Amino acid sequence: MHSGIGSASRGRVWSGVIAISVALAVTVILLTAGSSTPGAALRAFFVTPLVNRYYVGNMLSSMGNLLVAGLGIVIAFRAGLYNLGGEGQIYVAALFGTLAGLAVPQAPGPVGAIVVVLAATATGALLAGLSGALRHLFRTPELITSFLLSAALIPIVDYLITGPFNDPDRNLLATRTLPEQFWLPRLLLPSELSLALPVALGLAVVVFLVLFRTVAGYELRLFGLNDEFARYAGLHTGGHTIGALAVSGGLHGLCGALMVLGTYHAAISGFTGGLGWNAIAVALIARLHPLAAIASALVFSYLEAGAKAAMLHTDFTFELGTIIQAVIFFFVTARLVFRRRR
Amino acid sequence: MVVNSLELAVPLILAALGGLLTERAGVLNIGLEGMILIGAFGGIVGANATGSLAVGFIAGAALGLALSAIMSVACIELKANIFIAGLATNLLAAGIVPYLSEILYGTKGVVKLRAAAGIPHLFQLGAPFYLTLVVTAGVWVLIYRTPFGLRLRAAGEAPEALEARGAPAGRYQRIAVLLSGVLAGAAGAEVSIRLGVYLPNISAGRGWIALVAIFLGYRHPVGVVLAALFFALFEGLAGSAQGFISIPGTVLVGLPYLVTVVAMVIYSAVRRGRRV
Repeated sequence: MHSGIGSASRGRVWSGVIAISVALAVTVILLTAGSSTPGAALRAFFVTPLVNRYYVGNMLSSMGNLLVAGLGIVIAFRAGLYNLGGEGQIYVAALFGTLAGLAVPQAPGPVGAIVVVLAATATGALLAGLSGALRHLFRTPELITSFLLSAALIPIVDYLITGPFNDPDRNLLATRTLPEQFWLPRLLLPSELSLALPVALGLAVVVFLVLFRTVAGYELRLFGLNDEFARYAGLHTGGHTIGALAVSGGLHGLCGALMVLGTYHAAISGFTGGLGWNAIAVALIARLHPLAAIASALVFSYLEAGAKAAMLHTDFTFELGTIIQAVIFFFVTARLVFRRRR
Repeated sequence: MVVNSLELAVPLILAALGGLLTERAGVLNIGLEGMILIGAFGGIVGANATGSLAVGFIAGAALGLALSAIMSVACIELKANIFIAGLATNLLAAGIVPYLSEILYGTKGVVKLRAAAGIPHLFQLGAPFYLTLVVTAGVWVLIYRTPFGLRLRAAGEAPEALEARGAPAGRYQRIAVLLSGVLAGAAGAEVSIRLGVYLPNISAGRGWIALVAIFLGYRHPVGVVLAALFFALFEGLAGSAQGFISIPGTVLVGLPYLVTVVAMVIYSAVRRGRRV
């Protein structure tokens, strides 16, 4: 069971580049074959995301969200733990963060924002930490419990957002809007880009420093490379299992908070839209390096924006984003080059 | 009620037996969910194209096989991480089915079964149920009574020993993954043909439930069948409870996952308790 992705994705320098190249090739083929105006579809995919500040800003905004969740995956995978519940962790945390914010409507802006962030981060940390605790206590595979818990909770959050906590004044499947003073300042109007992006970039540096410049980070990486060895070395493996997953979930929760505070100002039904899975792709393309994740989040948000533009601006209506994800996942951990002779 | 549960168990058993083969060969197959999904689509396409439900099942199994072939190339030939390749398999099915559906039927959503003839029944149970019993026996024989099964288990438990004898573990893992694609694809076809329709997300977590059934069944074909029956019984109960208790429909979507994770935790807690 413990096949150690912590070590598995090291030393494959080109696999991320190749994965993205193949994904682009598949995209071009699908756009050409699936659209009656291939030229327009290709231009929409490749050019539209960069054409004006509105599109660029939105792309950078989703890059920030991807980066924070991707850092959550980096922490888990570095520790050799599979957190496959990111999607649910972001979604549940976004709802609880929003509800916590709505509970203190009179709070001054920074205080309110901190309430939202703390509630969401704690929610994510508890959720993923639970999978860590189950693994530590009973050796239940965290790979399975994190996914199943997330899959069980997503429909419940859907129900809560569209039912009990729905905003009756808006014709939208969303909770009530957070007080305006909580909102993160926008950086590139009219786009959605907000202070969330600089926060995400700062977090990448923090995660880098923690992983590579602290004892805790060293232990976590050691644990990820070989948990048997880490146990012999006297490390408390239970603490690392639960701790690494809790931090991973906390970062997903924080991602949910930033989405709410920076972009949507409410929890909206289905607004995570595969972000949890994209975050795994981002982390793997970056070969689990927090600083490289900045670049891979940028590339991935470009692909995502392109897929969206191709669907909006042409008659191409397919789930291009999902197919791109699949292709990247197939190739990103593959040993494609330098297959050494044994 | 009993008949209903036995029918509901068919896809779970088929997919779980497929997953059992890969699990015994050392590959935890997360891709079952996607193979079921594409099999469900293939079932309707095959049956609608020919008017024969049997062809539907074969088409479902064939699409499952094709998808599993992609997965096996990724994780055995290219040595990709098996869990990530499994995720890719699920995503590819979720992305490619709407694409194919749009080309074939001009819709990304619901595709109805047009075939007129029904499934032949015996003692109220459809032919797929009896075929599943045969497959169960077949998988048992394959794992425990054939040289192939011995090597398959060796690929999972002692790949070094297998390689030392000049038989690469990858060869057996590849065959196991392909067989799981056939079985999970047929499982998907059974679901869509029984319901008479293909719906987006029709697999509804069955691949993951099958995966958990493998553990609950102590990685033995008979145990796996019993575990699948347990989940099917619950699915039947939840279905009939919907009539009396007012649970919001959206919450019900999450229920199978919740039951599955609780079962998995109880299983590992009991197992852990016994060992210590």
